[in-house]
Amino acid sequence: MLLNDCDPGFKHQVAAEPGGQGIKACFACAACTARCPVAGHVEGYDPRRLIRLVLLGRREEVLASPLIWLCSTCYSCQEVCPQQVSFTEVLTAIKNIAARAGYGPPATEAVIDQLAAHGRLLEVGEFENQRRTDLGLPEVAEAPAHFQKVLGVEPAGGKS
Amino acid sequence: MPEVSLIWIEEAGLEGLDPAKAAKKAGVALSDGGLVEAAVVTTTEARAPRSLVNRLKGYPVKWLDLAAEVGGGPLALRQARAAAAVARAAGSAALGTMAQRYTRQPNQEVLVAGRGLAAVAAAHQAAALGHPVLLALETTRARAACADEKPAEVKRALAGLPAQVEVVTGTELVELLGAGGDFQARLQGPRRTSRRRFGAVVLAPPSAYAVPGDMPATAEDITLPVSRLKPKQYQGGEQWLQAAVIAPLGPGATAHGFARAVTAALALQKRPRVQVTLFLGEAKVASEGGERLYRDARRQGVLAMRVEPGGLRVSRDGRKLSFDDPVLGEPVDLRPDLVVLSEEVTGRAPAWLDNPLVTTAWDQDLPDHPRLQAGRTARSGLYLIGGARGAAPGDPRRAQAAAAAADLHGLLSGEAVAVPAVRDVLCASCLTCVRVCPHGVVCYAEDHIAPAPAACLACGVCTAECPAEAIAPPGWSNREMIASLAAGLKAAAGDKLVLFACRNSGMDAARALSLAGHQWPKGLLMVPVNCAGRVGVQLILRALSLGAGGVLVAGCHQGNCRSLNGNLRAKLRSGEAADLLAQVGGRPEQVRFMHLASNQPRALAQAVAELAQTAGEK
Amino acid sequence: MAVKTIKTPAVIIGGGVAGLAAAIDLSRRGLSSLVVERGPRLGGRVADFCCKATDSCVRCGACRLADLVRRVAARPEIAIYTSAKPVAAEADGDGWRLTLEPQRNNGPAPVVELAGGPLPRRSQVQAGAVILAVGATPFDPSAKSRFGYRRVPGVVSALELEGALEHSLAELAGGRDPRRVAFIQCVGSRDESLGHLYCSRVCCGFALRMARVIQARRPGTEITFFHMDVQTYGRAWAGELAEMREQMNFVRAMPGEVTAGPGGPQVVYAAGGRSQTAEFDLVVLSQGMRPPVGAAALSQLFACTRTSDGFLGSDAEPVASGAAGVFIAGSARGPMSIVESIEHGAVAAAAAAGHLQPLVREAAHA
Repeated sequence: MLLNDCDPGFKHQVAAEPGGQGIKACFACAACTARCPVAGHVEGYDPRRLIRLVLLGRREEVLASPLIWLCSTCYSCQEVCPQQVSFTEVLTAIKNIAARAGYGPPATEAVIDQLAAHGRLLEVGEFENQRRTDLGLPEVAEAPAHFQKVLGVEPAGGKS
Repeated sequence: MPEVSLIWIEEAGLEGLDPAKAAKKAGVALSDGGLVEAAVVTTTEARAPRSLVNRLKGYPVKWLDLAAEVGGGPLALRQARAAAAVARAAGSAALGTMAQRYTRQPNQEVLVAGRGLAAVAAAHQAAALGHPVLLALETTRARAACADEKPAEVKRALAGLPAQVEVVTGTELVELLGAGGDFQARLQGPRRTSRRRFGAVVLAPPSAYAVPGDMPATAEDITLPVSRLKPKQYQGGEQWLQAAVIAPLGPGATAHGFARAVTAALALQKRPRVQVTLFLGEAKVASEGGERLYRDARRQGVLAMRVEPGGLRVSRDGRKLSFDDPVLGEPVDLRPDLVVLSEEVTGRAPAWLDNPLVTTAWDQDLPDHPRLQAGRTARSGLYLIGGARGAAPGDPRRAQAAAAAADLHGLLSGEAVAVPAVRDVLCASCLTCVRVCPHGVVCYAEDHIAPAPAACLACGVCTAECPAEAIAPPGWSNREMIASLAAGLKAAAGDKLVLFACRNSGMDAARALSLAGHQWPKGLLMVPVNCAGRVGVQLILRALSLGAGGVLVAGCHQGNCRSLNGNLRAKLRSGEAADLLAQVGGRPEQVRFMHLASNQPRALAQAVAELAQTAGEK
Repeated sequence: MAVKTIKTPAVIIGGGVAGLAAAIDLSRRGLSSLVVERGPRLGGRVADFCCKATDSCVRCGACRLADLVRRVAARPEIAIYTSAKPVAAEADGDGWRLTLEPQRNNGPAPVVELAGGPLPRRSQVQAGAVILAVGATPFDPSAKSRFGYRRVPGVVSALELEGALEHSLAELAGGRDPRRVAFIQCVGSRDESLGHLYCSRVCCGFALRMARVIQARRPGTEITFFHMDVQTYGRAWAGELAEMREQMNFVRAMPGEVTAGPGGPQVVYAAGGRSQTAEFDLVVLSQGMRPPVGAAALSQLFACTRTSDGFLGSDAEPVASGAAGVFIAGSARGPMSIVESIEHGAVAAAAAAGHLQPLVREAAHA
């Protein structure tokens, strides 16, 4: 690998994203990896390595990696980090950048579509609304417009 | 022979003992406060009442730290131990040696030679302590700063010097003889050479920043040292400017060198579109603010790249660095646009300092010797400070200068013990004493042995090694030591043993044990010495012939001896004595040597117990 | 009872190596001083340190304490009160007026001191200069609960190991003869999450010296050294470090946690990108140094500043405190070794003497 081909701006971009502020403080002590429950189960999942790839500026490799979506958000890494890198938050920042760049994994994309279309992960159809009416509850409207705005997607379940 | 009186001072550790019984057993008279010819006092000079110290001035007095020797156990045993200790002290007091101090007054003038902040600060501090000072600058006043210092800071310090400091410029110290209290210096000025005598000499050789030898050889046009870096000249364009800053990589890397590299990296990283890769071996953050600085640099975006020794390679054209990323474990290349090499402070002591006739040993041979602090060298009264002693510029050099000035002031105002007495009639001028003196005190001048007046620590190495019994610090001659051994062993009860204990280790440990109530063997006679090096073959064999069943010599650990190698001499001589003993049919294990520190009382107790057991097996 | 007033050029708060070195240096400069020690004996923390020489001296400097105490005892111009503490202080002209209160000290009676004795009653001190040499406070490893201190048997602090080194290590390891010993460095140091953005400087040397002692006494003991960076602790060590790397297992990783295992404490750490678990008989936490416990109270009492790291003094200057006539000596100023503390004591004394000299001169002309 030639370091000149990497993107030195990537770490600054991650740091500028909400949650990503701590990334550059990492001094590679590996406490996060030692404590990570996912690292014990998934070959290649290593918080310290992911941080390092960002710091080196290996942008595409990070954003395209399926590993960044595997965090269980248990916050163990954040608890043990002596430099307050807050890796769980950093990973959220990375995931946001990845999603914006179109690297979301299909499953996640499907979830976003579902949310955009229906405002929740389960579709509320005619059947459910009939039941609600029977019980004296108001009908649930399909996908209120502000959901799509929040998610930053086109209405009617289209891909972003 | 004078009659010896026992002056009993009651103190902790002596509870219940009967002074009259001790005096009787030791064959001395218990003092009733009347006229005294010679005395044994049961406390140290420091702890004794001032009035007593003053009254006894000019008399042969043995100050005996009795509480350190008696210890615990049944009263009868303690009584017997006290009597033997008193007898031992009385044995030499009876010889009437005066506790003489200097025969010549030490010269109070101080020479500070060299340049830089350390030199100026040392001159200032010594003057503040009341010494006339000659500051011999190798340079002009304007160029007095070392290459690693800020000229303005040194200029300010020079301007602030008090009138007691005489400053000469363009002058080098080219020859130095003598030791603390009486140095003879030859100074080479711009026009002439002069000779002058000084009481103490402080050397502050020039220092500079230098790139360590183990740095990768990158292409000259992209490489420069930290001290020549001007960060403002650099910025990236469409392409990022790739800078490599290489911190000191080797095992000798210092926190100061690391901090300078990080400072450079941080300054460069702040420039637009510049990416810095900081290569380091270990992050030496143990300087003040070092960790904070390292964190700030990373936060700014500096990429820290740890490389293992030999792990940073350069291409043949000097434009590509190859290494393994420490986290990924993958090979990485970098084609830097700029390479900044960090530096370490280097300073060389003048070559003549390596001459054994001038200095027996100094910091280069004994780095971090725990008893050669405050810029001391092994030659008493000669100090080496500044960058050559590893001090970083600024406050560390001021601190070293202040410490050296305080130390030399102590030396010249009488902290040293005595001047070795030389009996010219016996002296064969073999120069053994000149050769072995660890402090450079014994000099040969004007056809006879001439010890310097303020430098002797009475270690007694010269006495132990002299083949003619011609030299001894007052109170430490063979005659006195043997008289004490004979009297002490005569008075000792039970199975007799001798412990020769260095005051810097063995006696401190013995004292701690005694005050904690440790019960010593009844017949153990303690003989405190200023250095185990005083104990030669003769004393050991004499102790055995006078009835001791075993002899233990307790000296400091290797590398800790205040007299540099007195402990090793003692070890060697103990071995020789054991061999001789074996040749005449004795058991070599009756003579033992041990390394010890003041805070290892248990080790001493164990060694004494083992010795007692050995001596008991006939 | 009438309050006694002691007049002295300098009062030194703290009878550890820095305070004693300062007293000796002042006395060399012809200035008397009063050393006020809170505990029952002199020497501070160094008094608890044993000699760590193996085949030769390892230059820790602990043996220098005996030397300092002896020299203090030999100088009548140094007065010492143990079991005493300043409870009030006010600036008084160019100097300070302090109120000392006797301290009740429980615990074992101290070995008889060569010099000084307990403060008998509440007293006032009028001094031209004050040197604060109260030392640092060791970090309490239970604040890093994941390392199992006081939870997992066989996990001890470095200071506890120090206390047992001359006696029995088996007691620390729950009766087992410890054959596998791990050191975890930087516990409480280099830790932004604690606000400790500093290296404690001495812990690497401390741990490695103890590790060598253990290996020398019990050859074959496996030592594992978990660390981030090995700090320099003297030029003489550069070569010895290479030797130690052969004899011990240097692991460059901060462990994630220490848990109780069937055969002893287990250290969870990362190696090769994965979490690993290794079992030991004894896990030693190399605790760092913290600002002295009384730093806030002392800085208030003497109107002195604190460094960025919370120690006494100011960042830019080595011994100044921000208050006229008050100087800081030793590890109260920041982490330093025994030898550094002794030298720092001398520097503080030089500064205090500089402050006192105009007064002395005036006194001579008065």
